[in-house]
Amino acid sequence: MRTYPLHWVLGVGVLLALGLYAQRLGFLPAWGAWSLWAGYLLLALWGLLWGGWRAVPLVLGLLAPLFPPLAFLGPLGAALSLGRTLPEKAQAAFYGWALVWPALALLLVWQVFPTLYAFYLSLFDRVNFLRPAAFAGLQNYRILLEDPLFWRALGNTFWYVVFTVPTGLLLATFVAILLNTQVAFLGLYRTLFFLPYITALTAAAAVWRWIYHPEFGFLNWLLHTPGLDWLNTPTGVFALLLRPLGVELQGFLAGPSLAFVAVMAMSVWHFLGYQVVILLAGLQAIPKEYYEAAELDGASFFQKHRLITWPLLSPTTFFLFTLGLIGAFQVFTQVYVLTPTGGVLQDTLTLAFYLYNKGFRDSDFSYASAIAMVTFLVILVLTLVQRRLLEKRVNYEI
Amino acid sequence: MAFPFYWMLATSFKSPQEALQAEPVWVPERMKPMNWLKAARLGDSPLFGGLGPGRSVALFFPGPEAKPPKALVPRSPGAFFDPVADGTRVEVARGEGGWWVRLTNTGEAGFRRVPLVVLWPKGVPLEPPLPPDARRSQGEYWRLEWVNAVPGALGYVFHNYLEAWDAAPWGRYFFVSFFTASVQVAVGLFLAALAAFALARIPFPGKEAVFVLVLATMMVPGEVLLIPNYVLLARLGWLDTFYALIVPWLASVFGIFLLRQFYLSLPQDLFDAARIDGAGYLTQLFRIALPLSIPGLVSYGTFTFLGAYNALLWPLIVTQSPEMRTVQLGLLAFVSEAGSDYGALMAASAFVIAPVVLGYFVAQRQFIQGIARTGLK
Repeated sequence: MRTYPLHWVLGVGVLLALGLYAQRLGFLPAWGAWSLWAGYLLLALWGLLWGGWRAVPLVLGLLAPLFPPLAFLGPLGAALSLGRTLPEKAQAAFYGWALVWPALALLLVWQVFPTLYAFYLSLFDRVNFLRPAAFAGLQNYRILLEDPLFWRALGNTFWYVVFTVPTGLLLATFVAILLNTQVAFLGLYRTLFFLPYITALTAAAAVWRWIYHPEFGFLNWLLHTPGLDWLNTPTGVFALLLRPLGVELQGFLAGPSLAFVAVMAMSVWHFLGYQVVILLAGLQAIPKEYYEAAELDGASFFQKHRLITWPLLSPTTFFLFTLGLIGAFQVFTQVYVLTPTGGVLQDTLTLAFYLYNKGFRDSDFSYASAIAMVTFLVILVLTLVQRRLLEKRVNYEI
Repeated sequence: MAFPFYWMLATSFKSPQEALQAEPVWVPERMKPMNWLKAARLGDSPLFGGLGPGRSVALFFPGPEAKPPKALVPRSPGAFFDPVADGTRVEVARGEGGWWVRLTNTGEAGFRRVPLVVLWPKGVPLEPPLPPDARRSQGEYWRLEWVNAVPGALGYVFHNYLEAWDAAPWGRYFFVSFFTASVQVAVGLFLAALAAFALARIPFPGKEAVFVLVLATMMVPGEVLLIPNYVLLARLGWLDTFYALIVPWLASVFGIFLLRQFYLSLPQDLFDAARIDGAGYLTQLFRIALPLSIPGLVSYGTFTFLGAYNALLWPLIVTQSPEMRTVQLGLLAFVSEAGSDYGALMAASAFVIAPVVLGYFVAQRQFIQGIARTGLK
């Protein structure tokens, strides 16, 4: 007779436990949970036939409708009591699954299921749990594509990526190269750059809000621009820069508003330390011999870094670029603290902020879910495109 | 890079009048050691100040006899009953070469703060016993204001910090934040270690499928989960509880990946030897793999703790009551409450980031390496 698949009982047990909870919360019809229970019953009977009295703890799992975790504890007890009578392979299978299931179950409940549930929610008309919602199909998505605020949020995200990612990466690479050249007080400098990153964004944003203060802010004193209200200026920066030349720009071409640029400056400051630390680790992985050989050949500082550092650092740069791209779609905290209302004319609206507004201010969970799904899609497409286009140029061999 | 920090600290020591200057004040009065000595002489205790029942404090203002100053304890605006103003006797007496302002506590209870206003005639050179927190013009006089005439050295320097700390239940906020972050780290670490060990070292059927699923969840951006997880928590009745702050973030794909990478880098011989000695999988995990992967655990712990402590959006969504506020939410509320009291606001920001910064200085190397390791593929 074949070995008894104890890990199957465990799997069905975990699903049964989750199913019972889901049924209690009304996510799963009763027959779903009961069919899992029946499956568990069959496997448990097989276990009893196979293992005799040692498999008795399996029966505990049948009481799961009273206390769901028993469906997980039952098979666990059976494994303990069966112990070494199980063949090696079955043990590996059981313990492998037993160790994976706790994390996996949590992932299923809090990440996999919610992703599907978000899509499900987005198909309804104004879900807010105060009244039954009507099925609306793709209506929310149709509205979304014509929603000027959504496009503004997307445009802002675009500008955020265009402004912060290259600036941050360039600055960080520059600083990392400098710090890598046996500079004195390396620890001090590294700390200086790293501190902003471990500072809570809320606190950092509060400090920057004070620096940006229109009347008593430090920045206005520094730039001799008294009264300039950085965080409440909705004019685009390109429009501001080109106005003296007599060029009037409107809409998207006007660029991100001054307020949003102020938010971006703060974000670059905050994340620079992380990029520096990661790049520094990448730099230190490059063998010194390459530079020594280049020096022998008479390479200049600039040549060394363009021909050795840049290509060999490309995996790290690529990683940071990907992080920056994904991070841009989730910018919320600094915007919320610096411009709590989303700025004048919603000029600092980001996707995460818009989602928060729609979901938790306007209580329109389905529309917010639609925003989330579109964001997900955009990120997915961008990541794929970026893999296809950029990763070819990344040099993974040192 | 460090300027915002300096500006935060400098502002946190400023009196409101110093903070609201068009020309920045680089070194506020409260940061000058000379003033600490002056403040230490005022009040019952040299460090913490205060004015006990029956005790008095005397402030000396050098000046001519011809023009006497006036002194009073201002009533807090709008207060129906002000024990400090009512219970303090103010006397102005002529001393040798100047004027004594004597404050006596005639009440039953001790005072921690006694504000003081002295009206000093214009045209007379002023040499106050402690630099006034504000100085305004009032007719023939300079109106000199002290927020606390009995501060003691610490009470003087950290006035804004004490004000900010008393303005909100920060102790509770810190407890919520630390509890949330610690449980997330401890339990998350344990679960991630279990799963990572199985994925790295145990050959079990379906391993590839699990791995692909874990990889796929990594692609999901956090904001997709906000709404459905909120709904889930609402149905569970967990909103506004510790469960809501902790449970959704216990299983971390990032942690599983990081630790799996670590376990893969350990030599297989180690585990084979243990197996021959009769060690089961759990023994291998807890006796061999975990102790050898401490750098990975530290890295994950640092990252998770930072993430949990610094989070704003999630706590903002799932908590409502003040008892369940994290420090970041407390700070957010304080930003809107403090209004133009930037000294107190910066003080609050300073003590909100203090634990993490202190932790950084204590374990600098682990911190940096821990973060640097997150970039390794």
